[in-house]
Amino acid sequence: MSMRVKTLAFAFALSATLVAQRGGQPPASARTIAPVDLTGYWVSIVTEDWRWRMMTPAKGDYASVPLNAEGTRVAGTWDPAKDEAAGEQCRSYGAPAIMRVPGRVHITWQDDNTLRIDTDAGTQTRTFQFGRAQSPGEPTWQGQSVALWEPGGGRRGAAPVLAGSLKVVTTRLRPGYLRKNGVPYSANALLTEYYRATHEDNGDSWLIVTTVVDDPRYLTGRFFTSSHFKKLPDASGWKPAPCSAR
Amino acid sequence: MLVAATVALTAVLVAPPSPRAQQPQPVPSGSLVEVIDDATRAAATGVDFTGEWAPRFHEDQPERVPGPELGDYLGIPINPAARMRGETWEASIQTLWEWQCRPHSADYIWRGPSPVRISKEMDPVSRQLTAWHAEWLRSVDRQIYMDGRPHPSESAPHTWAGFSTGRWEGDMLTIKTTHLKEGYVRRNGLPRSDTATLTEHWMLSGDVLTVATIVYDPVYLTEPFIRTTDYELDLHQQNPPYPCEVVEEVDRPKGSVPHKLPSDTNFVTDFATRCGIPIAAAKGGAETMYPEYKSKLPATPATCVAAPR
Repeated sequence: MSMRVKTLAFAFALSATLVAQRGGQPPASARTIAPVDLTGYWVSIVTEDWRWRMMTPAKGDYASVPLNAEGTRVAGTWDPAKDEAAGEQCRSYGAPAIMRVPGRVHITWQDDNTLRIDTDAGTQTRTFQFGRAQSPGEPTWQGQSVALWEPGGGRRGAAPVLAGSLKVVTTRLRPGYLRKNGVPYSANALLTEYYRATHEDNGDSWLIVTTVVDDPRYLTGRFFTSSHFKKLPDASGWKPAPCSAR
Repeated sequence: MLVAATVALTAVLVAPPSPRAQQPQPVPSGSLVEVIDDATRAAATGVDFTGEWAPRFHEDQPERVPGPELGDYLGIPINPAARMRGETWEASIQTLWEWQCRPHSADYIWRGPSPVRISKEMDPVSRQLTAWHAEWLRSVDRQIYMDGRPHPSESAPHTWAGFSTGRWEGDMLTIKTTHLKEGYVRRNGLPRSDTATLTEHWMLSGDVLTVATIVYDPVYLTEPFIRTTDYELDLHQQNPPYPCEVVEEVDRPKGSVPHKLPSDTNFVTDFATRCGIPIAAAKGGAETMYPEYKSKLPATPATCVAAPR
């Protein structure tokens, strides 16, 4: 879709939103007012942390992660065989780590207020809920994610811009690994993410995901990573694979 | 025509209701604060990146701080020419007078071991943003012009910072940089040519600055080379001066340039061997940055542990 068409679509959407709000009707859905289109197939481009993402790092190799003493101790107990026996092969595919796992992601609208991410690596599914509280449930690998659009700035009253970010806050996580070699995060970890898309002159489009993990139990401070994905025209290369503990 | 119609439609809908339709308004408070705030916001475009930003080495710390391993080209879309430059690189070239004070270039510096100060230059009359300045510990002051000026001709001098212009895409600042001197994409000899161009995206997420750098190099890269790097706002940071003095570090014959010959590059496999990584992977190339490459890697864990330094 060209930028011109996108602009028109966005303008119409905004117009519809305003009309609806003036008429006392329910506010527009998250899908309708999305300031950026994140949907589609994306492939991770692994130009960073290659040694720790493309291969399983050696036990004890926690480079770059601000682990505290307790985090280091727990990481030292990593035993993939034990995880397999316990049926916990997906420990390194939880929400704080999954966007760092090499693979493809497919982003779609599950409904008008739920954005969904499927991954082929580990066959995980994340759902980002806009504007409604979720009922508390059991902690899961992907936790519960609340989403909020952060529209791009610009002058007040000026034409809207097709740029903005998606902020996602995730809690209620099942304890897992930030890295495959047992670098831990706890059930109380707070995950905050920002999703943005770029449009390059050569036709490329990149999904940029900034990830902030806050987990005082195992980390000395917030853990920052940013991951990038290249837009794909279709599902080619999509190859679902189960979680692996090794 | 369609655009005009849509803009008109939107303008009508966005415009405030007519005075006749408005409800009685409360008496103004008389405070100037709200008025000034409205005027300020109305003039705003984009966001303010001003501040002291501390790098967070939560990605590739062993490469970025102590320095990369020789022969580690993992995940970089280099071509054979770049690989040969890397394999024949000799680290002691840094001891040459001409190299001792060489700053990191605009494309690499984000990944380097330096805090950055970002400030803005405003037109004193119009109060419009004319340029951003970025100054790292180990770099020269870099300007990103926001006043719409064109890039200079191809024959204009090339610099470490290059020539940069920026534009807003919502709250994301997109920067195009040309006129770069030859630099490197990794501090172990992998070159970046002076014909390369750079696109950056600066993105603010609360007190976190994420910068995406995309290098396009027709000489040494087969695909665009993207990295994304995070900085945290640090209100207590002060970028100290970084004077660099050229000294005689190594006594060597005049004109001697440290290097290795292509026949003397066995050392480049040491890293891969020690870490249990296939040598072909360590040689890099675009193939190694895609997830599919995992199928060519051993299922066993790597065998090296990065020493905390």
